[in-house]
Amino acid sequence: MKFQNSKVAIEISGLKKTYGTTHVLQGIDLKIQRGSFFGLLGPNGAGKTTTIHIICGLTLASGGRVQIFGKDHLTHYREARRAIGLSGQEYNLDRFFPLHKSLTYHGRLFGIPKLKLKNQIEKLLHQFGLHEHRNHKTHKLSGGLKRRMMMVKALLHDPEILILDEPTAGVDVELRIDLWNFLRKFNQEGKTIILTTHYLEEAENLCQEIAILSKGKIAICDTKENVIQQAKGNLMNYFITEKQSEGFNA
Amino acid sequence: MLDRFPPHWIGFLSLVHREVARFMAYKSMTVFPPILTTILYIVVFGFSLGGRIQEIHTFSYIEFIIPGLVLMSVIMSAFNHSSGSIFMSKYDYSIQDVLLSPLSYFQMVMAFTLGGIIRGVLVGLLVLASGCILAHLTPHSISFTLLFLILTAQIFSSFGIWVGLWSERWDQQAFFMNFFLMPMIFLGGVFYAVNMLPPVWQFVNHLNPVYYMVSGIRYGMLNFQEVSPWTSLWIVLLSGFTLMSITIVLFRMGYKLKS
Repeated sequence: MKFQNSKVAIEISGLKKTYGTTHVLQGIDLKIQRGSFFGLLGPNGAGKTTTIHIICGLTLASGGRVQIFGKDHLTHYREARRAIGLSGQEYNLDRFFPLHKSLTYHGRLFGIPKLKLKNQIEKLLHQFGLHEHRNHKTHKLSGGLKRRMMMVKALLHDPEILILDEPTAGVDVELRIDLWNFLRKFNQEGKTIILTTHYLEEAENLCQEIAILSKGKIAICDTKENVIQQAKGNLMNYFITEKQSEGFNA
Repeated sequence: MLDRFPPHWIGFLSLVHREVARFMAYKSMTVFPPILTTILYIVVFGFSLGGRIQEIHTFSYIEFIIPGLVLMSVIMSAFNHSSGSIFMSKYDYSIQDVLLSPLSYFQMVMAFTLGGIIRGVLVGLLVLASGCILAHLTPHSISFTLLFLILTAQIFSSFGIWVGLWSERWDQQAFFMNFFLMPMIFLGGVFYAVNMLPPVWQFVNHLNPVYYMVSGIRYGMLNFQEVSPWTSLWIVLLSGFTLMSITIVLFRMGYKLKS
């Protein structure tokens, strides 16, 4: 790992993204410290997934810069991609192979030695309750199991930064709580986590810092306590206030 | 043993392995049908209709068409593999796994291309063996034949990647196959010698790169040359290099891969 010295995991400056005449991101700046649990919140269409995809190199930015541990994520793409594990919003599971085979190919893409990879797959399959499904093809899994599989894939190469784009969307309470416990433990090991979620109690429970994206701009970025204080004690208030200012009355 | 390689080369070889495993998992769909089709061509065009056609440059009609049929199976298999693989990966978003990996774009393209080459050459060799058995044919130069199989597979595997990237629907791939690839193959001299055509069509034929591939493999198998095999080789090498370069640039640009 070539990023040992940097204390900042991700630094985004002036990030812009335009689709035709739509300005999805209008020059956002973010600094995410190494080892922090960072929540990226905002309503649908605010630009959360676009931001994440640009960080991971899945979407091209129209302007601005992303640095992973102090190095440009495009120039130093090998290091940047090794440092990041992404569990995306959409399932992206290879339907040709059973779970363990699919994970083996995925891990080998990151150059993990065979024996280490085998142990890592076994450990994660047990940890996420997928071991009994290891010989099933991915498209035959239920939604909750697919979500777990997405997590396993993101964790397989033991990334320094874990990015979770709505990881608990559509999963049952049991899995959500299991996942929360796992993420807390993972964060305590010094790993950086970026979480986007529509469950505000999830962000309140887990995150140390929160940024709220609105209409392609950072509306607020501070410690969880300060953000909640500004939202008069509950993050939900922030969104309600924002909707009311737009003239929306439920 | 692979673990001795640098990590990103392990990733590259793993991607190649995955591509091969994908088509080998569905052999009855990917490997055997082209062999059956070619045997049917040989039986219908070679044994039944071929008897009514005079010898072409001292070769029986069946001997003359076998190199072209081998090439046709290579083209179809290599193209179908890479175009299908890229399109399917885009469709189920699994291409993201590759894009998130530490492989360079060159390695990604090479791995997908190699998958198509391996499928194309495997099918081509099986068709070649079937043709040689049926027509009692012994290839003139195995190495030259194999070289042309590989180069042809590379060209159409690269082309397949481009089509896979471009396609947003299944019918767009079928469009390319039916309205572009098939005419190119059939008008590339698979079933005839160029001097059998009127002068205008002879000229048109010389503009078709498939013609040089057919000529090259016909030289390798029959020691027959309408065009110098070295001219064919240079044209095929140039086509392969150009297509490969375009494909790498498209991947680097994120053409229809990254919004």
